[in-house]
Amino acid sequence: MTVRVTRRYSFSAAHVLARPEWSEEKNRDVYGKCANAAGHGHNYELEVTVRGDVDPESGHVVPVERLDAVVRRRVLDLLDHRFLNHEVPDFASEVPTAENIARFVWRALKGELSPAVLDRVYLRETSNNSVEYSEEGG
Amino acid sequence: MLLTRRMEFSASHRLEPEGTGFSHGHNYELEVTLQGHVDAETGMVIDLKELKDLMDREVGVRFDHRDLNDDTSWFSDQLPTAENFAQVIFQLLDGELPERLLARVRLSPTPDYTVEVAR
Repeated sequence: MTVRVTRRYSFSAAHVLARPEWSEEKNRDVYGKCANAAGHGHNYELEVTVRGDVDPESGHVVPVERLDAVVRRRVLDLLDHRFLNHEVPDFASEVPTAENIARFVWRALKGELSPAVLDRVYLRETSNNSVEYSEEGG
Repeated sequence: MLLTRRMEFSASHRLEPEGTGFSHGHNYELEVTLQGHVDAETGMVIDLKELKDLMDREVGVRFDHRDLNDDTSWFSDQLPTAENFAQVIFQLLDGELPERLLARVRLSPTPDYTVEVAR
């Protein structure tokens, strides 16, 4: 039987959606008011899902404390209360859209929860916008 | 067609392997999802009252306001983690439903923690 465990976290961060090599007009055209240079922030809601066998001894797919510690160290400590474009190296070259943040989370957690496997990353940027990301071999 | 019914119940447990200490409790949220054909005559996958009664009988009566370690027989040889509890619930419901109708059980001990068991 497949068992999946989902844990929900939250963090707050600022970003600006713009590519430095594009003109202001083009950034405005693609990203709208999200391109305002001074940036703006969101309260992000993050769901991390792992799947695997239930360890007969612990009764867990992954102990919650271990999952929390990994997510805190590899994701929340890096993103929470940060200006993503300026303070997170990955987003110096990559626009910190919800899609790219979700892929950042996937890269940060992939392979870190063995023997459990990363199954899905869900990121809600606002109550109206969310993205979901998964790939083979988490 | 997928059909989901939700219920809440409260139970206590302790997760120390040799636990003789005090238990703590959760308000569990349970979502039971069936996957089946829509009956041409009734227009339903299952009578929701039937599903509600089944969930009350198999989950509510057994576990609501119980201590999972002390008041039930399911956790004498396994810890009552959400993973194990969800699998127990899946098996209890699966045994009472037509073959392969039960698709998924989701169990949340807290709003931030959900376990899903799927066929």
